[in-house]
Amino acid sequence: MFRRKRSEADFAAEIQSHLDLEADDLRQEGVDPDEARYQAHRTFGNVRAAQEHFYSRARWIALDRLLRDLRFGLRGLRESPGFAAAAILTLALGVGANTAVFSVMNAVLLRSLPVADPQRVLYLETSRTPNGTGTIDSHATFSYPVYQALRQPNRALSDLIAVGALSTGKVNVRIGAQPEAAEADMVSGNFFSGLGVRILRGHGFTPQDEADHTQIAVVSYDYWTRRFARDPGVLGTTTFVKGVPFTVAGIAAEGFEGVDPTQSTDFWIPLQNRPEFNVLGNPPENGKLYQQDDTWWCLRLIGRLAPGVNRQQAITGLQPLLQRAARIGLGEPMPGERPIALSFDDAKNFNGYEDQYAKPLHILMAMVALVLLIALTNVVMLLMARNAARQREFSLRLALGARPAELLRQLLTESVLLVLLGGALAWAFAEIATRVLARWALIESSLAPDRTVLLFTCAVLAVTALICGIAPFRVAIAGGAQLALKTSAATAHTDAGKSRTGKTIVALQMALCVLLLVGAGLLTRTLANLRNIPLGINTTGLVVFGLDPQSVHNEAQLVRFYQDLQTRLRRLPGVESTTVSSTRLGSYWSNNSSVKIDGKEGLGADGNSVTVRSNDIGPDFFHTLQVPILMGREFTDADAPSKQLVAVVNQLFAQTFFPHESPIGHKVNGMTIIGVVANHKYRSMTEDPIPMAWWDYQEAPDEGGMTVEMRVHQADPLAILPAVQKIVAQMDPNAPLMQPTLQSEQFERTISQQLMFARLAEFFGILAVILVATGLYGTLSYRVNRRTAEIGVRMAVGARRGQVVWMVLRDSLILTAIGVVLGIPLAVITGRALGSALYGVQPFDPTSYALALVGVAAVALAAAALPATRAASIDPLRALRTE
Amino acid sequence: MSTQNPDPGSDRIALLQGTLDLLILRTLLLGPHHGQGVARSIQRQSEEVFTVDHGSLYIALQRLEDKKWVRARCGVSENNRKARFYELTPKGRQQLLEKTTKWKRLTRAMGLILDTAAGPQSEEV
Repeated sequence: MFRRKRSEADFAAEIQSHLDLEADDLRQEGVDPDEARYQAHRTFGNVRAAQEHFYSRARWIALDRLLRDLRFGLRGLRESPGFAAAAILTLALGVGANTAVFSVMNAVLLRSLPVADPQRVLYLETSRTPNGTGTIDSHATFSYPVYQALRQPNRALSDLIAVGALSTGKVNVRIGAQPEAAEADMVSGNFFSGLGVRILRGHGFTPQDEADHTQIAVVSYDYWTRRFARDPGVLGTTTFVKGVPFTVAGIAAEGFEGVDPTQSTDFWIPLQNRPEFNVLGNPPENGKLYQQDDTWWCLRLIGRLAPGVNRQQAITGLQPLLQRAARIGLGEPMPGERPIALSFDDAKNFNGYEDQYAKPLHILMAMVALVLLIALTNVVMLLMARNAARQREFSLRLALGARPAELLRQLLTESVLLVLLGGALAWAFAEIATRVLARWALIESSLAPDRTVLLFTCAVLAVTALICGIAPFRVAIAGGAQLALKTSAATAHTDAGKSRTGKTIVALQMALCVLLLVGAGLLTRTLANLRNIPLGINTTGLVVFGLDPQSVHNEAQLVRFYQDLQTRLRRLPGVESTTVSSTRLGSYWSNNSSVKIDGKEGLGADGNSVTVRSNDIGPDFFHTLQVPILMGREFTDADAPSKQLVAVVNQLFAQTFFPHESPIGHKVNGMTIIGVVANHKYRSMTEDPIPMAWWDYQEAPDEGGMTVEMRVHQADPLAILPAVQKIVAQMDPNAPLMQPTLQSEQFERTISQQLMFARLAEFFGILAVILVATGLYGTLSYRVNRRTAEIGVRMAVGARRGQVVWMVLRDSLILTAIGVVLGIPLAVITGRALGSALYGVQPFDPTSYALALVGVAAVALAAAALPATRAASIDPLRALRTE
Repeated sequence: MSTQNPDPGSDRIALLQGTLDLLILRTLLLGPHHGQGVARSIQRQSEEVFTVDHGSLYIALQRLEDKKWVRARCGVSENNRKARFYELTPKGRQQLLEKTTKWKRLTRAMGLILDTAAGPQSEEV
């Protein structure tokens, strides 16, 4: 189609030669030369039509027109760069915000695990694990013996996959000389085959690898890219995990980031049976690793439904198996204990996080949709104003014979052009925004927009283009052909109900603005409240880091290592005190179990066993954290091993188990309670107090690493870290400082989602205000422009400047008032919907409402200021002279 | 997307299209011609009944060239003007044969109907 054999010039030359030949012939027939030329032309007919016909026959006319329209549109945009920039930026922000939030929503709520046939892949969940068991998640983890029972060939599942975390955070790995931390899981042999995850290079695991606990690893594509720069030579190399050599056997397919929600797994190894590879790196309990321990429910299970089996059938089939297996090693259930019930959850990317994210994400999505609505109306108003100014042009074109359809085509092309430019910018914006969002929310897995998001964005853009193309069409043809005949610029604009449309739009925008500002206000105040939650701990100058010494091989060495370390740390200038604990505070992790009080199962007032959180800590713990000790004392260096076993509990523990007496001297899990401390935050900032007990780590030290807390008196407490690193390196050259940070930041991480949502809400609130302000400004200045002549007349007949200014301001204020009246009921509804997302703020919070009103009033005045000044500076004479 | 149909007087061209192609091919059977020569020749041979729309003629020539029924080369006319000369290709000759047969059958059939039908008297063409 595009291959042209002849140029138009050649065709034109042929026609010219025809005319010459014809004229020659005519001359020979005796016609006068001038007449001959004229006659040749006349007999030929329409030369241009033939050329046009020749031109158009060899090309895609629609495309040709499109290109012409695009060129014309681009020229138009170049001529009014202010308009173009405003429209494109507005669209980019509106669409970009939507793309970014939808992208997060897609990743968190919609996207399935990137596995084969994800609809048939399910997470196994339970109503509640049996009493007397320890869990990681009391609804979603299972013991190894249960796993073994459920994976026996059955009709419900074709594959059952087990995943065990190697640590609560990252694990110590060494590739080459430097120790570093990486995210790793150990998995059953059918992990890759059962999930249907392709291995890009090398090979995955087999059931035999699981049985033999083969020391091989499969790295994720992301880790391969990040750590190994996609070097295929990584296959066959050795990586030391917790000091144990593993051979890299394979690289998993791109996009697969493991099954840990919010985290991106760096590598996987087959299930191991070494003590240092116990799940979470916990020490074997009573000498039992996770494989033998019936009470350590620590594995997450993922099943693939057998062909032809639906979920209900699978549950019916597996339930009796599970109920039988759950009792292995536990004996008879306690009276009143309900049998365990199985359920399934979709293999979503963010399994288990839906509840936490769903509501805020929906709220955010609604917010950005409103922002888009405001942005869209702004662009439409911009276009209408611009096209109103172009009315003469359109009118002239109609008068010259353009069909309305052609004008519409032109307008649509211009709108598509704007939308495409805006859309491209929006996409770039969203790419960056999702990365920032992931960092704010401490999500390691990718939130980047994918094909679903692209589809969504394209749909949004298409609708936008349609609206932006059609809306101004009415204005464009409103003038009709006869407008071209009118002469006065002022009279040309007198009709048109478009100013009423504009005002309605601005009033609605104001209403949305009130709504967004109230929402943003509520969330911002929530944020402030969250940040001010009393922790019960003084976090000023509290520095925390993890250590996993590789040189320590037994309990005595471990205790000595940390005693030695602390002695050295305390000598550093500025360090007031230090302590150690097994679980890091504010890390969301906790050791949960039921306890025995004075030899009997500890029951709450309702007769059920009570979950107690515990932590192994060193001496000076509560002193370092500045948690008040209410009764007794805390551990000291004197509480060394082989003496009396001791424990400290919190106030709630005391109230729960010893409501009427002092707990001091009683026994918990065989340890004598020597102290009671005040309740304080442990896992996260928003948790309610929970009964807690602390054991002395010197009496039963972990194999694994510990967390070190130091109170430092200096302006930048983290500046102490290099000195700390030096000391640690002297003691164990293979141990990196793991995730060193401030304790306050560690706690703040637990409200990172709320922080993210509040920040976003603020951002969208501000964005809305800016958009509404520009929209209002545009409308007002447009009106002032149109009324130049009228204002001139008014001033000529004696109106004072103040009155003119007031006239413009009044316009703005009336619109604002209408917007506020409409917006407040909407805001009340929104506040109710926000409900549970708020913390310490009532949905009808007067401060938030007052701030929102001040906000829109400020917008109204600011947007009106410039047009009002311009109106007041109109020179009546000049205004009338242009008439 | 399709190429555009000619807009002005499109029905006339559509009516003539098959005919014009046939006439051009027939004219070129006598030897290479330039466009103006073809036009003159058709006009003369039809005893001035057909006045060829010259614009359409050139479009038709281009179309025939695209179909490879004719081929064009540059030459010089008898009165020393540069012109584009067209000549039949073997494929064009083949087409002329087929179209002539078809046309003769068509006119014969039309003639049979128009002559025998008891319709209104045919008017002068």
